[in-house]
Amino acid sequence: MSLESIIFAILGVIAVSGGILTVFARDVTRMAMGLGAFLIAVAGFFVYWGATFLGVVQLFVYIGGVLVLMIFAIMLVHRSPDGSPLLESRHDVAALAVAGGLFFMVVTALRGYVPDSVDQGITSGPTELSEAFLGPMLTHFEMGGVLLLAVLVAVVVILGGEDR
Amino acid sequence: MSLLVVTVGLFSLGMYGALTRRDLVAILASIEVMLGSATLLLVGLAAAGTPVGPSEGAVEATGVMVIVLAAAEAAIGLALVISVARRFKTTRIDELAEVKG
Amino acid sequence: MSVLLDYGWSVVLIPLVLSVPVAVFGRALGRFMPVLAIFGPLWVLVYGIYALADDSAASSRAGSVEWLTVADAGGLSVGWAVDGLTAVMLVVVGVVAALVVMFSAGYMAGEQGLPRYYAALCLFTAAMSMLVVADGLLGLFIGWELVGACSYLLIGFWFTRPAAAKAAVKAFLTTRVGDVGLLLALALLWREVGDLSYAAVFAAAPALPASVVTAASLLLLVGAIGKSAQFPLQIWLPDAMEGPTPVSALIHAATMVAAGVFLIARAWPLFSLSSDALAVTLAVGGITAIGAAAAALVQTDIKRVLAYSTISQLGFMFAALGAGAWGAAMFHLVTHAAFKALLFLGSGSVIHESGSQELGQMGGLLRKMPITGVTWLIGAGALAGLPPLSGFFSKDEVLHDVAGVAPAWAAVLFGASLLTAFYIARTTRLAFFDSYRGSVHPHEGAWNMRVPLIILAAFAATLGFAATFLANSIGAHHGALDLAVAVGSTALALVGLAAGWIVAGRAHHDLAQTRWPGLVALMRSGWGADAFVERVVLTPVNATSRVLYSGADRRVIDAFVEGTASAARRMGRGLASLQSGDTQWYATMLGAGAVALLALVSYVGRGL
Repeated sequence: MSLESIIFAILGVIAVSGGILTVFARDVTRMAMGLGAFLIAVAGFFVYWGATFLGVVQLFVYIGGVLVLMIFAIMLVHRSPDGSPLLESRHDVAALAVAGGLFFMVVTALRGYVPDSVDQGITSGPTELSEAFLGPMLTHFEMGGVLLLAVLVAVVVILGGEDR
Repeated sequence: MSLLVVTVGLFSLGMYGALTRRDLVAILASIEVMLGSATLLLVGLAAAGTPVGPSEGAVEATGVMVIVLAAAEAAIGLALVISVARRFKTTRIDELAEVKG
Repeated sequence: MSVLLDYGWSVVLIPLVLSVPVAVFGRALGRFMPVLAIFGPLWVLVYGIYALADDSAASSRAGSVEWLTVADAGGLSVGWAVDGLTAVMLVVVGVVAALVVMFSAGYMAGEQGLPRYYAALCLFTAAMSMLVVADGLLGLFIGWELVGACSYLLIGFWFTRPAAAKAAVKAFLTTRVGDVGLLLALALLWREVGDLSYAAVFAAAPALPASVVTAASLLLLVGAIGKSAQFPLQIWLPDAMEGPTPVSALIHAATMVAAGVFLIARAWPLFSLSSDALAVTLAVGGITAIGAAAAALVQTDIKRVLAYSTISQLGFMFAALGAGAWGAAMFHLVTHAAFKALLFLGSGSVIHESGSQELGQMGGLLRKMPITGVTWLIGAGALAGLPPLSGFFSKDEVLHDVAGVAPAWAAVLFGASLLTAFYIARTTRLAFFDSYRGSVHPHEGAWNMRVPLIILAAFAATLGFAATFLANSIGAHHGALDLAVAVGSTALALVGLAAGWIVAGRAHHDLAQTRWPGLVALMRSGWGADAFVERVVLTPVNATSRVLYSGADRRVIDAFVEGTASAARRMGRGLASLQSGDTQWYATMLGAGAVALLALVSYVGRGL
């Protein structure tokens, strides 16, 4: 077993178990931990494949921002008064069928297009990234900025309206 | 093959969670899993040498865009969750379905 | 070629764009709204005059510029092309539309919803220009449908009046029957030729099988019949008189209803290949001409007289087309546009002042409204075919050409001319002579209502001498004046005028009314066409639905339904779970749909 396979396997196991915890955990704190593990594993994949900058952004924005925000929201909201389990599942059978069917169909459809091994790696760095943002993806960049501004305003509107 | 199975598997897992979870925050978390796995597949493809965009820089930029979108979505989603929790004293989607107004 | 002519699309775009500020800022513009709105028709007129004066444009049907590609499959494109025929139509549309806008400034003053009115007029001008300048049947069809929509909007301008709303719907639906024919013609030609531009269709037409040519021509004819209110789709035009009178002058006399004639003249290289279609056109025109003229004899509403008169005159044009004389048809179209618009605006002036459309409420108006009266007399003379007014020349050319092909139909048209002179003399005497029978004090309208009348009267009087110029412009054959026909038709016109004059004098005694009340009622209702449609179309549909309701529905379906009610209830409960308000269930269904689509594409659609 090559080193690549071992690293891939380790990161994969972390990501999958994190994902499973996110989806199945009955306890809110465990769910947040699972999501954190999944996101860190994804960042690990990015760094390992050479997309260092992306990995760092993933760590900062996702784990430093989104996850903390989420935990914060959980703490704000979940004061379970009656002690009933906050996280439980329903529609299990239908959802399982849909998710399984989607998995099967997408894997079948993309089988021929995805190489077996990820050996090449990404050679581009922040320079190429910024060139892409200021070149072919300038529109995306600008729209992202506008979106964030809109989100900022929206959050203020959604949460600010309550006090009045 | 393993890349495809892992990423699509994680995507389906996240989808299952988003479809079954009863709590708004948990649904958001599941959606984050879906987003993350999709980005993972995209970057993985680029790393495997498959041309998936104009350049490798563009692929990375797309990854950054997904993160930006996810952050925006989480911010709005959680703001809504907090707002809903304040008004209806619950974040369970099945209870919310029965709330009128 | 003048530089101006390179901008053919402007005749559509300028009125179209103008309609926006008219609609939006109309209220703020107030009195100046018509001033703004008139620039659209004026531009069409200027462009048409340039095109008419330009030799290179008049001599060629080519020079089309690609305008807007709708779909690149097989070159389905909308383009414009300007030639003599187009130029003549543009001038007609521009002159009448501009004068109608001007007239409206006086006639419609003080009405509610004027921005809507003028915007619709601008839109109509744009649509009519589109219909005219299109270089293919597709562009023509777009304009064709848009003028129909504008007609609907303007007939129903006073939409709070139930009669107006009903008339608008009736006009829209009846013309729609014809439009289906036109659409089918387009589909047929598209299948056979693969291109809808005139050039391609006409180039391919001689090589097409005779059956296809006949079918396409007949379908085009169905479209033309619907738009031009020909038999048997004539029922909408009299009711369309519920719209404002200037609109009747523009849409339902001069331009839109003439679009059917224009369509056939435009498609002449195709249409003329089918002798069957020509024979049908001749018969349709002949029947319509005499039938509508007879119905006009007994109308008591001045606008309905003119409406039946329009149907009848369009019948003359169709008869000319059927006789192969499309040049004569176009000539009559142009003169008719002038004198019929004049008559309509004159009637509008009368209605505006006397406050009634009933001939019984008029009388003696010549002295009270001299300008309206004199211009009306010119229009009436032109309609009756008195030399040297324009209608005389164009109608004689129609009669001459029809007589050369089908003497029997020519006799019918001579009869129709006699009736034409009769009804217009009767109407003229009832409205303008003898003593005033109404209760208000009519006087001449504002200057902006008088000027259009004078201009149109000038056209109606003199256009007959432009026959050679017109024929050369549109590239049609123009025969010399046929002395026998001229003398005969003039004599008939004089006889008809005299008879109509005499009958109108005795109208107070209601001579015909008392002697043949049934016949008069039948003719007044337009030969009972509405009742016929009611009996043949509406009643069977209603009866069928009643039978289906009482027989099939009550006994069979209800029993079935009640017997299976419990099953349905169970099924309903099952289906209701799909509509639970449960977001996640919706999302699950969404995912299932995505999976199904993926499966479909992967397994079934591999070959696609």
